[in-house]
Amino acid sequence: MSKMEGTILSDEQHAFGEFKYWHEAVLAALLVALLLTAGLADPAFLSARVQTELSTHVWELALLALPMTLIIITGGIDLSVGAMMALCAVVLGLSYEAGISPWVGAVFALLTGIAAGAINGMFVVWVRVHPLIVTLATLAAYRGMAEGISLTRPISGFPESFAVVGRGHVAGVPIPGAIFAAAALWAAIVLGRTAFGRSVYAIGNNEAAAYFSGVAVSRIKLWLYAMSGAAAGLAAVLFVARRNTAKADIGAGMELDVITAVVLGGTSIFGGRGRIVGTLLGVLLIHETREFVSWRWDKDELNLIVIGALLIVSVLLNSIFLRRETE
Amino acid sequence: MNSSTVIGRLAERREYGVLGLLLLAVLVVTAVNPTFLAAGNVRNVLVQCAPAAIVACGLTLVIVTREIDISVGSLMGLLAAVMGILTSPQRAGMPVAVGIALTLVLGAAVGFLNGVLVVFGRVPSIIVTLGMLTALRGLTEVLMGGEWITDLPPALRFFGTGTMLEIPVSLWVAAVVIVCSMALARKTRLGLRIYAVGGNPAAARLAGLSIRRTKLFVFTLTGFLTAVATVVGVTQLSVIESEIGVGFELLVVTCVVVGGTSISGGTGTIVGSLLGVLLLGTVRTFLIFLRLGEMSTYWERAIQGAFILAAVLLDHVARRRERAEP
Repeated sequence: MSKMEGTILSDEQHAFGEFKYWHEAVLAALLVALLLTAGLADPAFLSARVQTELSTHVWELALLALPMTLIIITGGIDLSVGAMMALCAVVLGLSYEAGISPWVGAVFALLTGIAAGAINGMFVVWVRVHPLIVTLATLAAYRGMAEGISLTRPISGFPESFAVVGRGHVAGVPIPGAIFAAAALWAAIVLGRTAFGRSVYAIGNNEAAAYFSGVAVSRIKLWLYAMSGAAAGLAAVLFVARRNTAKADIGAGMELDVITAVVLGGTSIFGGRGRIVGTLLGVLLIHETREFVSWRWDKDELNLIVIGALLIVSVLLNSIFLRRETE
Repeated sequence: MNSSTVIGRLAERREYGVLGLLLLAVLVVTAVNPTFLAAGNVRNVLVQCAPAAIVACGLTLVIVTREIDISVGSLMGLLAAVMGILTSPQRAGMPVAVGIALTLVLGAAVGFLNGVLVVFGRVPSIIVTLGMLTALRGLTEVLMGGEWITDLPPALRFFGTGTMLEIPVSLWVAAVVIVCSMALARKTRLGLRIYAVGGNPAAARLAGLSIRRTKLFVFTLTGFLTAVATVVGVTQLSVIESEIGVGFELLVVTCVVVGGTSISGGTGTIVGSLLGVLLLGTVRTFLIFLRLGEMSTYWERAIQGAFILAAVLLDHVARRRERAEP
């Protein structure tokens, strides 16, 4: 048992003294450096007005990054989050078109997300397929389904009362932001302070040992993938409410951003380590990088190159430092 | 059963299964539309399958070594753009031979880069190739600048549309690639190393095999073969644009997984992957024949995903039955 407790914290304790949050500190420094450079290149970018406007883009990414963090800590991965989001959005749109209230449609979307995520989980847990292959397959399957049942038509015209979920504010805080803050807090508490969270780390560190120690590995994994689907459903609702349009190509490439944000945030792709705080910083970094590139050069293609390179480099650096700590 | 090992028997069984499915699919399509078996149509289907078959030879070996490469589609897009820019008279206007040679070198170089990051950077191949998939697509879009290339020289288009002795060039090239890959996999020490590294990496390392060189090789090979596929595949089209190759990696991975190559490595044959390519090619033609129009493209992706899931389910069931004898 002491080995399991040790592994959760020992990496940080043995390296660089006792400070546990080195990775997050480096990230924060990087973020500041990025913002400074951006501000020097174009001061308007840093203005409060611009930043709040740009922040409307980030909530879906941030929401998806929360369960992704836990999934990657267990050594898994979920490539289908973007496709699940699209499928949920299409369900919402089609049910609204069929005359159902968008609120009920939102519930349908959430249920679709949970079901889609649960299917992922079932294949991972029962059929014992590597999550990479499962979610690669469902990435295609769900996206294809979304395109097929919607015929790639956009659906819009949602009522203002619904759009407020995506665009409204409560006490000055954007509603999606409030939802995300609550979710992030919940995720952080679960991961850091509950037996469930400790089990998640245990599975990532040594799944066999966790299993024989009585950890309900299958149930936990199933739950995590279902949660990822639920987050995709929620993200879909927020997106549709904000943009007033439901279309099958939503969330394309989202999985790359989410995984990059999580990995950048210090979660090891090999599993066993990671923190919500780190993920939050990773999300912020990705968001600001994206927005600045779009702002300054107005070319989405550059973003693709930057984020793709960022993913590889962040894991590369992670793997270099990991080696140094364990040797 | 010829093979004495469990894995061998499974592999044999699986290939027969895919072959059976293929025959069934052909039967169904012919029933719906008898012109499917007409010689001209068969040739068209084979020509369309050629690029996937070529890349599948390399990707099979990559997956056998317990790695994966999902960047082949974006690499194809990049190589197509490069090939077009180099040979188009309005742009670089280089001789076709030079353009093709450079494309092949670039493909191998990117594959090599993937390998270096995986082997020396110790970055998991899913991450490397996921990042590459995105970065290369972005690079392609930057290179193309939103424009199309429409003036490909006839010498270049010969590779996609020309024939030699009545058989399309692309089929000749595919045949050569397939035969060489099969020979490599079964008859050479390198081939043995590839399966050993995938089947039991620890044992392979203890036996002194160079895991690094083996993996570097399969990644470089896949990059090179992607370039070959680009030369015979993209030239079938008359336009080069930045969306070429999107979804191609999913198609090839589906073919390889359906064809019996296990993601956990060590098993999988090129023949199986080829059968997978033919099966998926037939399914695509089937969708078109059903005259679904646009719908066929939407559902095609869903079907590919469903195929992978069905294939892994089948594997699971087969494995459980094997394990039922303790």
